[in-house]
Amino acid sequence: MSHYISKSILLLVFTVVIACIIYPGAVWLVGHAFFPFQAEGSLLMGPDGQPVGSKLIAQPFTKDEYFQPRPSAASYDASASASSTLAPSNYLLRNRVATMLGPIVKYRSGPKAAQLVAPDVETWFQQDRYQGNPAIVAQWADLHNGLATAWVGADPTHGSYVDSWAKMHPDVVANWIKANPSSPQPKAVDLAVVFFENFSKENPGRFPSAVTRPGADGKPQNSIEPVKDGLDIQTTFFDMWRQDHPDADLQNAPGDMVTTSGSGLDPHITLENAEFQLDRVAAKWAADTKREPAQTRNEIEQILQANASAPFAGLAGEKVVNVLEVNLELRKRYGAPN
Amino acid sequence: MWILPISMLVVTVLLAIPLSRYMTAIMDGKYEVPRFLAWFEQRLNSGPQNWKQYTASLLIFNTVLFVFGFIVLALQPWMPLNPQHKGLLAPTTIFHTVVSFMTNTDVQHYSGDVHFSNFTQIFFAFTMFFLSASIGFCALTMIIRALRSDSSVGNFFVDMWRVVVYMFLPICFVLAIVFVQQGSPMTFKSFRQVSTLEAGAMGTLENGQPKPQTIVVGPLAAFIPMKQLGTNGGGFYGMNSAHPFENPTALTNFLSCVAMMLFPFGLVLMFGRMLNRLRHAWLIFGVMMFFMLGTVVWAIYFDTLTPNPGLTAHPIARTYQVSGTNAPGGKQIVTLPAVAGLPVDQHLGNLEGKEMRFGTSAGATFAALTVDVTDGAVNCEHDSLNPIAGLSPYAGMWLNCFFGGKGVGMINMLLFVVIGIFVAGQMVGRTPEYLGKKIGGREMKLAMIALLVHPIMILIPTGIFAGTSWGMKAENNPGAHGFSEILYQFSSSSANNGSAFDGLGTVYGFNDNPNPAPMGRQWDIASGLVILISRFLPIIAPMAMAAFLGAKKSSPFGLGTLRDDTSTFAFLLIGTIVIIGALLFLPVAALGPLAEHWGPLPFGG
Repeated sequence: MSHYISKSILLLVFTVVIACIIYPGAVWLVGHAFFPFQAEGSLLMGPDGQPVGSKLIAQPFTKDEYFQPRPSAASYDASASASSTLAPSNYLLRNRVATMLGPIVKYRSGPKAAQLVAPDVETWFQQDRYQGNPAIVAQWADLHNGLATAWVGADPTHGSYVDSWAKMHPDVVANWIKANPSSPQPKAVDLAVVFFENFSKENPGRFPSAVTRPGADGKPQNSIEPVKDGLDIQTTFFDMWRQDHPDADLQNAPGDMVTTSGSGLDPHITLENAEFQLDRVAAKWAADTKREPAQTRNEIEQILQANASAPFAGLAGEKVVNVLEVNLELRKRYGAPN
Repeated sequence: MWILPISMLVVTVLLAIPLSRYMTAIMDGKYEVPRFLAWFEQRLNSGPQNWKQYTASLLIFNTVLFVFGFIVLALQPWMPLNPQHKGLLAPTTIFHTVVSFMTNTDVQHYSGDVHFSNFTQIFFAFTMFFLSASIGFCALTMIIRALRSDSSVGNFFVDMWRVVVYMFLPICFVLAIVFVQQGSPMTFKSFRQVSTLEAGAMGTLENGQPKPQTIVVGPLAAFIPMKQLGTNGGGFYGMNSAHPFENPTALTNFLSCVAMMLFPFGLVLMFGRMLNRLRHAWLIFGVMMFFMLGTVVWAIYFDTLTPNPGLTAHPIARTYQVSGTNAPGGKQIVTLPAVAGLPVDQHLGNLEGKEMRFGTSAGATFAALTVDVTDGAVNCEHDSLNPIAGLSPYAGMWLNCFFGGKGVGMINMLLFVVIGIFVAGQMVGRTPEYLGKKIGGREMKLAMIALLVHPIMILIPTGIFAGTSWGMKAENNPGAHGFSEILYQFSSSSANNGSAFDGLGTVYGFNDNPNPAPMGRQWDIASGLVILISRFLPIIAPMAMAAFLGAKKSSPFGLGTLRDDTSTFAFLLIGTIVIIGALLFLPVAALGPLAEHWGPLPFGG
């Protein structure tokens, strides 16, 4: 028995020396001798010679001048990769996609072909009828308790708005406590659904949203107010608008544009996705650099084509482009965006 | 679409044939090595062993490995190569991680990029990768030697040395060079910091400066080949082979798939060569390939060729009458309203949780293959697979013999073979024989123990966790999918697979984590115990069974002998697997993936 223990320890020691020291050491030597760029993380240098990112790791872009990578469940944090882990059946997945689509979707055919649907979503929202019934916001909160609750918890200003609403509506809160005796002192998040129901009754066709206006001292101040249009309406209520208009013919957005990747750091988008963003990117650069729009679009199109490649020369999949490489090329060619 | 999986399989088969010859020669000791290697071998050799001594060595070695792994993980805060000062993991997480890696399972209740320093990655993971992979390999070798009635079943420590040094190491080295060339980092630095191209896109720091992007790097190129070759599957990063450093290109993805299938394929052929029953081995190979193709085709059809049903239209409202105690007359009408689709182009299939660089069907293909060979690396998020496509990984884990892990997959198949022969013998009223040895009551009992551990270890813990807050507080998705997450975790643990539905809240994290997953500890312990039991019983029982079979007298081949190299036998084997698998697991499949597929979509919110 002790014989076997000593042999076991010997085997372990041999393996540790070989597998943990000699083997990685040898790979390190060969890697640094022949492929130092890859071995150190494939870092790309920016216009000023400083590393701006890894060729293989997605990073966020917010400006319209740049192509945008796929949305990231990891917020592009390359020290904590993550996927959304949302199942197809989970409404949060559909909601996330609808929220992205709302402001960018266009009609494909009909009298409004190639126009954004967002203004129509706002008009429909102001009429405050969903599936033939009044009060869109109340129905939204009833259908999606989780989203309503998440809204209250999303920002401290949301929470304090609900708190001050609760102070002004003691009767509604008292009724809620009667119906939920287990929570005698409800917090703002507990009251989310009843808050939206009441809000909807008092502000038909409105949704609480952040508004910036000059304060008493002249500085801009944020406050939550009932609004009837804007980004919150376009994003939050696009899916409900869609349910009321199932036959509207809309342009499809590329699938990879609205889905998160497995790692949250996918450095590529499909060429199709890049082409979808091309109009926005080209128009913005043309405006920034005061160039001819059509020619700028052509140039950028060529950059995309030059950077596009398909896995195994197209045998196994469709063309993709590396977002950072393309954006770096744009940055080098046109300078810093305004 | 189909070119990718087909070429992967064809290439692996073509490589496995010569490899199996080499493996046979090594394990039969027909080789000569340089003097210095022979010196190591002599140091390890404790002499010829019988099956009990071999099994005892295996268990003792695992104990030593456990202690070693525990110490390395527990020492993380005080070890070098840790510039980010990663702290001490929770004790239950250490227990779970050691058990999980030691048994070739590699279910991870931590994220490598967040919780491991490079020292831990190297000294813990590399050691476990090489050794745990070799243990199953040696177990199968012992079983083969017992079945052919060798006077000794060999020496465990010499066998381990042979597998690690003469087989894994050279292939690993070659693959590692390819990986580094393709873009996997190979550095002992822990992270690189870069300013982003658009300054401030990551947000701003407290001092108003634009926030840099911190990129975790490490000795990836050396890590991945052994992760795949040993069908370990434990990722360097949390998102495993989906991470661009862990799997930088379509070529590395291809090689990752080939590497994980290589030894499972080769071992089946080695089984035939060592027993001198190559035709029989090819037949088993064919049956395994039949099932493997089934899981691949299923996954591709329902995930790559089918859009994500959460985004598409469901134009027809459905109404069901269900029994409800509160409803009048005990009947309740449930209506699932029609749903309008979102304007998303899904011609590439379900892209949620997929990466773009591997090729169109690569995510689904990898998902099927990684469970078939119990690798457990993932290159897409299995939690986000289309519900019915998720059945493919489940099937791979439940039956656990579509090639299976190194050695253990073949051992599992051997159990089905023995049971199939026994059932067929009962049907025609003859004494069942395998390899000329009569299968008796004792062998059948051992086979059934080994076979039944698996469903018991999946179904009972799943039931317990699904019915209590242990499971319900860990679910990340509502409804049937939440149940699927629990089921998947135990299936993966019991099958020693290692992939996961990542949404499940199992990560306790560092010991001083103020916000751990509420049920992290319970999951660590339950999953760890399931892994241990499901690893060792199904290895030891078949080792004993093979020893008892091998000790019997060979009966001469007669007219009435059931031939084990005919198509009749193949169908018998397929039938046995399908019937046993369906009986054991169809009910639980109905509660999870099937319920999600036919239930309301989208759900909750």
